[in-house]
Amino acid sequence: MRILHRLILPVLLMPALAQCQRNTNEGDFVKNNYDKQEVYIPMRDGMRLYTVIYTPKDKTQPHPFLMERTPYGSGPYGDTLYRRSLGPNRTLMHELYIFVYQDVRGRYMSEGQFEEMTPARDDPHNANKKPDASGKQTDESSDTWDTVDWLIKNVKNNNGRVGIYGISYPGFYASASLPDAHPAIKCVSPQAPVTDEFIGDDANHNGAFFLLDNFDFDNFFDIPRPTPVKHYSGNLFRANYNDAYKFFLNLGPLKNANKPEYFNNKGKIWNEYMAGSTYAGYWEARNIRPHLKNIRPATLLVGGWFDAEDMFGSLRTYEAIEQQTPNNDNHIIMGPWTHGGWAGGGWNRFGILDFGQNVNDYFHDIETKFYDRYLLGKDSGALPEAMIFETGTNKWKTYNTWPPKEATPIKLLLMENNRLGSPLPPPTNALVPVTIRKDVSYDQYVSDPANPVPYIDGIHGGRDNQYIVTDQRFASQRSDVLFYQTDPLSADLTVTGRLRPDIWLSSSGTDADLIVKLIDVFPDTAANPGYQRLVRAEVFRCKFRNSYEKPEALTPGQPAEIAFNMNEIAHCFKKGHRIMVQLQSSWFPLVDLNPQTFVNIPTANESDFQKATIRIWHDAAHPSGIALPVMQ
Amino acid sequence: MRKLVFLLLFSISIEFAFSQGTAQDSAWIRENYFKTETYIPMRDGVRLWTTIYAPKDSTQKHPILMTRTPYSCAPYGKDKWRNFYAGYLRYYVREGYIMVTQDVRGRWMSEGNFADVRPFNKDKKTNNDVDEASDTYDAIDWLVKNIPGNNGRVGVFGISYPGFYSTMAAASAHPALKAVSPQAPVTDWFMGDDFHHNGAFYVMDGWDFYSSFGKPRPQPTTIGPSGFDYYTHDNYKWYLETGALKNILKLTGDTIAFWKELYQHPNRDAWWQARNARVALYDIKPAMLVVGGLYDAEDCFGAWHVYKALKEQSPNTNSHIVMGPWYHGEWASNDGTHLGNVQWGSNTSAWYQNHIEIPFFDYYLLGKGANPGTPNATVFFTGANEWQQFDQWPPADTKDQPIYLQTDGSLAWNTPTTKNSSSEYISDPAHPVPYTEDVHFSRTREYMDDDQRFASRRPDVLTFETPVLSEDLTLAGPVTADLLVSLSSTDADFVVKVIDVFPDDFSYTKPGPASVRSHDNGTAYPMGGYQMLVHGEIMRGRFRESFEKPVPFKPGKIEEVKWAIPDVAHTFKKGHRLMIQIQSTWFPLVDRNPQKFVDIYTADDSDFTKETIRIWHDADHPSKIILPVLKQ
Repeated sequence: MRILHRLILPVLLMPALAQCQRNTNEGDFVKNNYDKQEVYIPMRDGMRLYTVIYTPKDKTQPHPFLMERTPYGSGPYGDTLYRRSLGPNRTLMHELYIFVYQDVRGRYMSEGQFEEMTPARDDPHNANKKPDASGKQTDESSDTWDTVDWLIKNVKNNNGRVGIYGISYPGFYASASLPDAHPAIKCVSPQAPVTDEFIGDDANHNGAFFLLDNFDFDNFFDIPRPTPVKHYSGNLFRANYNDAYKFFLNLGPLKNANKPEYFNNKGKIWNEYMAGSTYAGYWEARNIRPHLKNIRPATLLVGGWFDAEDMFGSLRTYEAIEQQTPNNDNHIIMGPWTHGGWAGGGWNRFGILDFGQNVNDYFHDIETKFYDRYLLGKDSGALPEAMIFETGTNKWKTYNTWPPKEATPIKLLLMENNRLGSPLPPPTNALVPVTIRKDVSYDQYVSDPANPVPYIDGIHGGRDNQYIVTDQRFASQRSDVLFYQTDPLSADLTVTGRLRPDIWLSSSGTDADLIVKLIDVFPDTAANPGYQRLVRAEVFRCKFRNSYEKPEALTPGQPAEIAFNMNEIAHCFKKGHRIMVQLQSSWFPLVDLNPQTFVNIPTANESDFQKATIRIWHDAAHPSGIALPVMQ
Repeated sequence: MRKLVFLLLFSISIEFAFSQGTAQDSAWIRENYFKTETYIPMRDGVRLWTTIYAPKDSTQKHPILMTRTPYSCAPYGKDKWRNFYAGYLRYYVREGYIMVTQDVRGRWMSEGNFADVRPFNKDKKTNNDVDEASDTYDAIDWLVKNIPGNNGRVGVFGISYPGFYSTMAAASAHPALKAVSPQAPVTDWFMGDDFHHNGAFYVMDGWDFYSSFGKPRPQPTTIGPSGFDYYTHDNYKWYLETGALKNILKLTGDTIAFWKELYQHPNRDAWWQARNARVALYDIKPAMLVVGGLYDAEDCFGAWHVYKALKEQSPNTNSHIVMGPWYHGEWASNDGTHLGNVQWGSNTSAWYQNHIEIPFFDYYLLGKGANPGTPNATVFFTGANEWQQFDQWPPADTKDQPIYLQTDGSLAWNTPTTKNSSSEYISDPAHPVPYTEDVHFSRTREYMDDDQRFASRRPDVLTFETPVLSEDLTLAGPVTADLLVSLSSTDADFVVKVIDVFPDDFSYTKPGPASVRSHDNGTAYPMGGYQMLVHGEIMRGRFRESFEKPVPFKPGKIEEVKWAIPDVAHTFKKGHRLMIQIQSTWFPLVDRNPQKFVDIYTADDSDFTKETIRIWHDADHPSKIILPVLKQ
C-alpha cells in the first residue's frame, strides 16, 4: 500500500491522460454521463463516513454499485470537481455503474478515529454487532455493511447489487467487506490487499522490518488528523535523501528513527510498529485471514509477480478463502506487475523483461467479465479458477487449482563449489544428478552490519521497484553473498507454486537474517548475456524459526534449520539457463539491520550490532536446499 | 593502448556526424596535397613502410611532422586518404605541414622483426645494432634528404605506443629533429604502464591487447590480426572462471611470444629494466612536450615519468609537460568536457590543442608564434576545474603532509593516540572487489573517476574519510601510501584509492548524460554524495622491499608497505570530504594475488586462498597517506 499513493499517479493517471487525448476527453465523459453527490453516511455508532457517489444520468435501467473504500481520499471534493475517470477500468465506466468512493473511518473527510488495519471482530453478526468490552461496536466489515445498507436504500435507480474493489490498502478494505458480508454485496475484488503485515506484506516479511518503505510511508501517512480534512499537509518531518543506503546506515539503530528530527514519537502507527516486535498481539490481530470464513460474495484476487508490497496478500488471501470457504466462487489472477500495475492502460515490459503483449488488456477483460457477471447478470461463461502469467515463456495459463496440483516439489541441494543439484536420480532430466557429502561441509561469510548487502546496485533515493527483477551479479561478486547454481539446464524447467527453502545455518552470533534469492541465470549467448535475473527473494529473521510469537536465540556455532515458504512463482527456466540460489544476511535498506545479537531490535543500541560469521551447511547431516514445485 | 585505435576511429565518426564541412575539407586536401607511399631503407637494409602527405605548395618550405606506429599507416593505397579533417590535425595540414606516418619495424607493411618495447641500445657499434632510435634517425635522415620542399625541421609525436616511439625518437639525436611530443608514452610496463603497476599484472588490458596485437606477422601485410573470441561478454565472469594466469597462457599456446615471455619475468629483472624507456632519456636535444591524462587508465605513469626522467637525467633539455583531465588520448579528441559522470566545466581538449600543442610545433618547426617559454608544467586541476601553470612539477609550494588513518574510520593530520588498533577484512579471491560497478565487456575508461560507493558498501573494502572540509584542499604531486599491515598469509595486494566525496546536495547545473543503467529509468546519475575516484594505485605486497627480489610476509607480523600513487592535481572543495579506500583486489583490472608467496604466473587455481588482512592505525603503527598539499 505504501507506495501506491505515489505510484498510482504515474501508473494510473498517465495512461488515463493519454487516453483522454486520444478519445475526446474522459473527464468530459464523466461530467456528461454522471451526476456527482457527496454525502455523510451514518454508521451504527453514530459516526458519519464521507462518501462520494457518481450516479449515471441514464435512468432507463437500474444500475449496480462498484465501491472503493480508501484511506487515501475520495476526492476531488466539491460538487463541481469530477474525477477524470471512474472505476477500475474504462469499459466499466462506459457500462454505467454507480461508482462510490468512501473515506474510511478517521481519514480525510470522514468522522471517527483511524486505526491501522482495523482488527476484525468475528462476532456478533454484522447486522446487529454489539459493543465489545471497550465499547466499540464497529470494524471495517460493519462499516461496509452499514454503507451498503444505506446505499441500496437511498440511491435512486440502483439494482440492489454491490461490488467492492480496491488496490493495496483499499484492497484490505475490500477483503474486510467479506466476513459476514451484506447480502447486497455480490462480488469483491481485493487487489494486492494488505493482509498480514508481520508475515509478508508491507511492514514485515517473516518478522523482518521493511525499513525503507515504512519510514517513508509513515512519514506522510501518520500525520495526525484531529478533524476531517480535504487535504493532509506535508509530512511529519523532512528527510531528503538521494542515497537511501547511506541515509539509513547513518541513521543507525532503528530507535534513532524517533529522534527529534524524524518521527520524534509523533508517529502513532510508527510507534505501534516499534512496540510490536513479535507476531503476538498487535500484528496477529490485524491479520484478516482467520476471519475469511463462510464467504458468500464471489471473489477475484489480483496480484503482481513483481509487487514489492503486497504480493503476499494477494496469494494468501486467495488461499485463506480456498481453505476456509472451499466452495466459494473464488478466483485469482497473477500477472507480471508491480504494485497496482494492472490498473493502468498499458503494461508491456518491466526492467529488461518484455512480455510481448499488453498484459493489462487480458486483465481488464477478465475484470470486466467478473463485475458484469455478478452485478449486471451478463453471463459470458465462468472465469477460470486461476489465471497465471508464466514468466520466462510470457504466456497466460489457467489452472483449476492454485497452486496447480500438477506441480511436484523437487528439492535442489546446495553443494560445495557453488553447485546446486538434485540428488540421485534427478526427477527431471533437465538436471544433472549430484551427491551430497557425508562429512562436514559448509560455506561461510562474515555478515557485517557496517557494510550490509545492498538490495539493489546503484544509488537510489526511494525504493526502486525494479530491484525485484534486476541483475544480481553485483551481489554474487560480494564475499558476504553465497551462490549456488545448477549446470545449464538440458531442457526447459517450469516452476509453478510456492518455494520452500530449508537451510541449515549457524552463526557466531545469536540472531541472523537469512535472505534467499532464486535467480534465473541467462546463458552467455542471451540478449543480456550472463544476466542474473532475480525471480523471487524473501527474508527470514531467524529468531522466529520456531515461532513468530516466541522468538528464540540461535546458539552460536550450532546449526539451526531455517525452513519457510516463499511466495509463488510461475516461471520457466529455459533450456541452457541455470538456476541459482543466493544466500545473504542483509538486504539493505529494504530490510532493517539485524543486530545479529538476540535483542529486541526496535530498542537495540548501536553496540548491539555486531559482525557475525554465518555458516551455511550442506552435508548429509545438514542438507540445505530449496524445494521447487516443478510442472511435469 | 589498443583502445586508442578504436578511440581515434570513434572520434572520426563523431566528427563526420557533426562536421558538415568534412566533404569539402576532404576535397581540399586531395587538391592541395600529394600522398606518397614508400619504403625507407634502414642502416641494416630493412625497409620501413612510410606514408607521406606533402603539400603541393612550393612557394615555401614545409616542416615534417611524423608519427611512428605499430598500429599501421592505414589507410593503405595511394587513392585512400587519411581524414586529417576529423580532428584538430586539420590545423597542421592547413599550415602545410608534411605529415608522415611510418610502420615501425616488423609491423604491418614494414620489413624486419618486431620487438615489443624494443630495448634502447646506447652503445651501437655496427649497422646491425639497430633500435627504435636508430630507425627514427634513419627515417628522418631520408625524409629531409628526399622530400622536396621540406624546411629541414622535423617534429615527432605520438600517443600511447607511438608515444614510446616518440621517446625513442628524442633519443635519436638527429640534428633535424627539433621538437618531440611523447603523449601517454608507454614507458615502463612493470612499474606503471599498461601491463603492470608496481608488479601487479593488469591482466585484462594485457590480454585484451595482446591476444590480438601479439599475434605473429610473418609477412608484411595491410590486414590486422583478429581478436580473441570470449565465451561471455562479462569480463568479471570470464576472468574469474578462467582462473589462474597459467590457464590464460594455455589459451594461446606458443603463438603469442611476448605473452609467454612476460610470464617468465614475474619480477623486475634485467629483462624488464632493459624495457624501461627512461634509460634512453639522457642529453636530449629537441624541445620536449610530454602530454598525458590524469585519468588515463593506460599510460598515465609514462607521461609523468618521462617528464621526471627528462628533468633529472637531461636537465638542460627544454622540457614541458601538460597534464589534463583526460582518458587515454582524449586530448586529441574533439570533446574534453567530462569523463563519465564528472564534468570539467570546459572543453579541455580544444584548449590544449589550441594553446599548447599547435603553438609548440609551430614555434619549433614553422618558426611561427611566440616562444613557448621556459620549461614549465601546465596542469588541469580537477575539482577546481582550472588550468594552472608552474615552472616546476611538483610545484615549489607543494608540501608533503601525512594524513593518518584513525580508529573511528576518520582521517586526521595528527598521529593516532590509541593503542593496539587495527581494521581487518577478509580478502577472498573467489569474490574479488570489482574495479567498477556494472557488467562490462571491455575495460571502461570511466572507472578512473567512477563513483566508489559500490565499493565502500563491501565488507572487504575499508574506508576512512576526513570531516567535511572547511576550506579547499589542493593536492599537486605524487601521493604516497604508507601502510602498516599484518596478514594471515604470506602475500597480498594493496589498493589505495584517493576519493573526493561530494556533498549530499551536490548536483550539476547542467546534468550529465542520462545514466545507461537499465533500472535508472534514464535519469541523470545521482551526484549527491558521489565518491569520485581521483586516483588509485595497487602495490603487490611481495615487492615492498624490492621489485627485483620479492619477499614473503610473515603471518601475523606487522610490516610496512609503501608505494607511490601517480601524481594527482585535484582540489577537494570546501564542503567535500577526502576519502581513502583500501582493498586487496581490483578485478579483473588486476590479476588476483593467490595470497600466498608463490610464482603467480605458474600458480594453480588451488593456490588461491582467502586471507585476513589487518591495517594498523595506532600510536605505534600509524598508517598514513602522504598528501602533496599545495598552498594557494
